[in-house]
Amino acid sequence: MLKVIGSLVIIFGCGLLGMLVARSYSLRPADLRSLQTALQMLETEINYAATPLAEALSSLAARSDKRVRPLFEYVLAELQGAPGCTAHEAWERALKRFYPQTALLKSDLVILSNLGKVLGASDRQDQTRHLRLAVAQTGAEMARAQNEAARQVKLWNYLGFLGGLVIVLLLY
Amino acid sequence: MSKIRPLTKNASSGEGSSRREGSDFHTVRQTPPATRPAASWREILPILPPVLKEIILRLPSGALENIEEIRLRQGKPLLVGLPGEDRLVAPGGALVENPDRAYLVTADDLQRTVQLVSGCSLYAFEEELKNGYITLPGGHRVGLAGKAVLEKGRVKTLKYIAGLNIRISRAVQGIAAPVLPLLLDRPAQSVYHTLIFSPPRCGKTTLLRDLVRQISNGAPGLGFPGLTVGLVDERSEVAGCYRGVPQHDVGIRTDVLDGCPKAEGMIMLLRAMAPQVIATDEIGSRADVAALEEVFNAGVKIIVTVHGSSLAELASRPSLNYLFSLKVIERYVLLGRSRGIGTVEEITDGKTMKPLRKDGRD
Repeated sequence: MLKVIGSLVIIFGCGLLGMLVARSYSLRPADLRSLQTALQMLETEINYAATPLAEALSSLAARSDKRVRPLFEYVLAELQGAPGCTAHEAWERALKRFYPQTALLKSDLVILSNLGKVLGASDRQDQTRHLRLAVAQTGAEMARAQNEAARQVKLWNYLGFLGGLVIVLLLY
Repeated sequence: MSKIRPLTKNASSGEGSSRREGSDFHTVRQTPPATRPAASWREILPILPPVLKEIILRLPSGALENIEEIRLRQGKPLLVGLPGEDRLVAPGGALVENPDRAYLVTADDLQRTVQLVSGCSLYAFEEELKNGYITLPGGHRVGLAGKAVLEKGRVKTLKYIAGLNIRISRAVQGIAAPVLPLLLDRPAQSVYHTLIFSPPRCGKTTLLRDLVRQISNGAPGLGFPGLTVGLVDERSEVAGCYRGVPQHDVGIRTDVLDGCPKAEGMIMLLRAMAPQVIATDEIGSRADVAALEEVFNAGVKIIVTVHGSSLAELASRPSLNYLFSLKVIERYVLLGRSRGIGTVEEITDGKTMKPLRKDGRD
């Protein structure tokens, strides 16, 4: 009896683990999508309205998806908190705090941090160019992430349970 | 009043001496003789990156109080402009002679400063970059130099900004008090057509700003009510507008057209704002003179400034020569720095061409 209960615990435990991993794969495309939308909004703010960065960030923090909202809130807080700090520094520090809360990969982080290097530091055309590049890059990452997610979600959902079964069989 | 005193930056001492001379000048000003708070340099601290801020704060206090500009050039020593001279600054804040001991401005310093000046939103300052300067709250200005990007032969923007000149603006209230009575046409309750001229950096703009303020506010001590003044501030130097709002006190009856080309602006004001006096800084082109003629014809008084060290020199410039030939200017005010910036060297009557007062005599 104890053996059966133990086996069930192992199977469900492994199954849950598998689902957790699967979930992390499906979160990334979602994060990337909200990020892309937010960057597009930023582009509009900068390109059409030439809104000062602080103002643009606070409107982004209010309007964007709650998964990416912290990024803009952090940048804004950094900008206003430390006198004499540049947009790049604020952006980098905010990214460091923001990254662990997301399902983003290092490669996504690189896109964001490349954008931060030029943020607010050049004319409208150049800002637009860089923002469009970042939007396109997140778009490409998103397509890849979606593909991968489709495969991995299935894989890990099965793998968890089956892995649990294998362990149970080996132990029996 | 035996002579016209140098218009020192320290208006409070000026106030005192004019009282002693027992003239009626002390009643000119109802407002206290306050200059701008001496700490107007503090207003530019937020735009300095931490490294430079440290250095500037460690400047000897005498230098700090009188600082006029801070110049940043990539790879070159940090310079501060003091009245009449510029000095190199060492990393510790000391003023030094030897360029080898001075702090060398890095590319990073410049970039940071530009970012801070623009609030990390350089893209929002396209018009300003085209003009080559950004006006800060408080009326201070940051001049920019770098590589110009052209579009259809006109400057579109600047990139690779490698030189900055942070000019600290000090409105010296009361500086116009000694000259004001000579420029007022009291029977007509108006002012004379006035042309202020001097070599660069002698306080033309400062004098113009205070004249505008006093004419606009009126001078009860002289029995002079305020007049409506239209100020065309093409380079945002006189009123130092930030988002259209004058950062310097230019009086209660003053309308400012900020960043507007002078010739166009004078006509616009003439049509739109019904001014009694039109003031503008640094005229010189033919278009300016043509616009001035319109202003004369409309019966509006003018107060303008021009670069130049003598009337003869001014007259050698064709556009100004034409202006002189109209014989409308009633007062020529020559400024110098023989006794400090803003010394009124001579005021000439435009009709008789005789000096009304000459510095040190009369």
